[in-house]
Amino acid sequence: MSKIRKNYCGSSEHEVSRRQFLGSAAGGIAGASLLAQESLSAELKKQGKSVILLWLAGGASQFETFDPKPGAVTGGPFQSIQTSTPGVRISELMPKMAARFKDTCVIRSLNTRNGDHGSASQLMMRGRKDEASLKYPDMGAVLARELGKPESQVPDYVSFYLQTEGRNFSGSGFLGARFGPMELSKSVMPENINKPDHISEIDFHDRMALRNLWSKNFEQGRVSGTLASHQQAYLRVNGIMDSQKLFDVTKEPQKIRNQYGPTQFAEQVLIARRLAESGVPFVRVGRAWWDSHGQNFETHQELVPELDHVMATLLTDLEDRGMLKNTLVVTLSEFGRTPGINSSLGRDHFANAWSCSLSGCGIKGGSVFGKTDERGDKVVEGEIGAARLFATIYKALGINPQKNYYVGSRPVPLTDPGTEPVKEVLA
Amino acid sequence: MNYTSYKVDKNLNRQDILFTVARVPNSSKAYVAGSDFKIHEIDFDNPKPDLRSFPAHSSYVTALILKDDTLISGAYDGKLSWWKASTGEKIKTLDAHKKWIRQAALSPDGKLFASVADDMALRIWDIKDGKMVREMTGEHKPLTPNDFQSMLYACAFNKDGKLVASADKTGHIVVWETHTGKKIATMEAPIMYTWDPSARRHSIGGPRSLAFSPDSKLLAVGGTGTIGNIDHLEANGRIEVFNWEKSERVHEFVTDKSKGLVEHLEFHPDGNILLGAGGAGEGFLAFIDLKEKKVAHQEKAAMNIHALASTDGMKSLLAVGHHRVLHFKMA
Repeated sequence: MSKIRKNYCGSSEHEVSRRQFLGSAAGGIAGASLLAQESLSAELKKQGKSVILLWLAGGASQFETFDPKPGAVTGGPFQSIQTSTPGVRISELMPKMAARFKDTCVIRSLNTRNGDHGSASQLMMRGRKDEASLKYPDMGAVLARELGKPESQVPDYVSFYLQTEGRNFSGSGFLGARFGPMELSKSVMPENINKPDHISEIDFHDRMALRNLWSKNFEQGRVSGTLASHQQAYLRVNGIMDSQKLFDVTKEPQKIRNQYGPTQFAEQVLIARRLAESGVPFVRVGRAWWDSHGQNFETHQELVPELDHVMATLLTDLEDRGMLKNTLVVTLSEFGRTPGINSSLGRDHFANAWSCSLSGCGIKGGSVFGKTDERGDKVVEGEIGAARLFATIYKALGINPQKNYYVGSRPVPLTDPGTEPVKEVLA
Repeated sequence: MNYTSYKVDKNLNRQDILFTVARVPNSSKAYVAGSDFKIHEIDFDNPKPDLRSFPAHSSYVTALILKDDTLISGAYDGKLSWWKASTGEKIKTLDAHKKWIRQAALSPDGKLFASVADDMALRIWDIKDGKMVREMTGEHKPLTPNDFQSMLYACAFNKDGKLVASADKTGHIVVWETHTGKKIATMEAPIMYTWDPSARRHSIGGPRSLAFSPDSKLLAVGGTGTIGNIDHLEANGRIEVFNWEKSERVHEFVTDKSKGLVEHLEFHPDGNILLGAGGAGEGFLAFIDLKEKKVAHQEKAAMNIHALASTDGMKSLLAVGHHRVLHFKMA
């Protein structure tokens, strides 16, 4: 358990919350204490907002997705197609997203200056580089903390990454293990949350009932935050054990499963929707591996139509359920791909002018922000880096990007100091 | 043939990536096309400037067929266009396929040509009137076993034109009877197709070239080997030779000095030598001695070779590919 700041001023702003206590108790925050503006986020938590991040690991090509350059020497063989927004065109590999572009904003002006898989992945998951003495939390950990409800009985942060290439970039940093991801790397079903086989269902419930009885008896006449937290932790573990059914895609009607399609990525995204629907604030679905140094066009012919179908199905499904206004769907990679086409007909790593998309909650749909030049070599309008992208994502969710966490007595804003969200992207 | 005596006597740099070539008989002229969507007439003895360039398609041009003064082009836009070669005048354009046209092959009598595309159809066309005379579908599945789009990469006629073969991404190869459209044999070359189920979860590879032996008994299939890291074309080039009537693989050859795809295959008229050409980061020529059953000679090329056209019993090889045209001349 971490120390409470010695210069605690007694204000509600600096009060240690049950959540912080739980966080510290569960994971520990080495050498740091956390104090944040909980009161400001109480309302936000009530709104039940969620983020589904479609993480296109390895680096999807902007030319073959959201920023096509047909006819340019760098453009490759694909044409562009008209979206539902007049004048906005995306790759012909994305006809379904083109038809339902109304909820999506494409950002075409990322310049993140890092073309290394490992450190670029960390950058695009955290919104900034770690410091030598300070590990920043990734987007999932921040949103688990900001959007997760203390009384929630589902996980706050779930990460699917079933492929083996490109893992190990996420982390809850100074927020500690309490806000770390439930990682699913072997199967879409969580491991180690089942009751032991040697305990029967009846025995399990009897034990829980007995523990509850003793706990309530002990609590009688006592007012203690520690006791409440203890009880909350048990409820939470029980809830997570119970949430296994959310990961069981066979519980979903066959009609819906058919809509998403048969691929592993489709199945995970459908589960992500189930999780969001049940109050999980952040789900990342890792879809590896887009690193097309050879045969870029063949690779994107496989992966982009799958992305197009699954993403469009997800957005429609969220809309049909009335969830889209409170669910932000992000497609993001660690970087894009080079304008130049190499001799293996591949594209290499390129972080100077690439694209991502934001759809749904808080986003100005049917829009494009930023512009690259005719060849896609550089950004010519609206250049932004990871920090502004993250500030925009947080703002879209109603979170102040300049909100401070405290590591010791050091205030640490959610995004780099002074970073402004991109207003043009926000609804 | 003296396959060790080839020398590059013409080496032309280009801005575009070339995917196809058709040579003008008895001359140093040829038509080339590729990534700039245009057709270029070149004279590799007098390389600059191009003799003529004209916009042809709305995507990469991947097939050129030349018969007398008729030039036919096919492209990733799914269209086939007929041109008057001597003037560059367009005669007509057909919406020939619903997806990318990958390759085309001229029948030996010059009356027909075949096209294959990612709509998984092999179509036979009358070169004069442009009418489709045959369509072979249903044998090459539109989806791979892992539910991703498949591709139909290669086609070739045999020497008398009565047979035509096709090969798809998963390594499924079919021999058809040209004049009936009837399937008469199938073969599999699964090593050429790599599906990575765990690390990267997509695929790479697939057969890219086909050639019948002069006696029509053998069918050679060119591609690449099983790839470990599918980010790259890191396996050696691979050629499998089938006794197609028995659907039996009788030889397999690996270009152990070069990596990448074998994108062109061609038997020497005597039937004893098989030429494979292709590449990845760099290119290669591989000469296979079928009597000795070995890769007899390998020649590095300064570019990944996407297509090649030979004349004079392989004494002259005009290769096109990544930003370059190379002419190999046998001493």
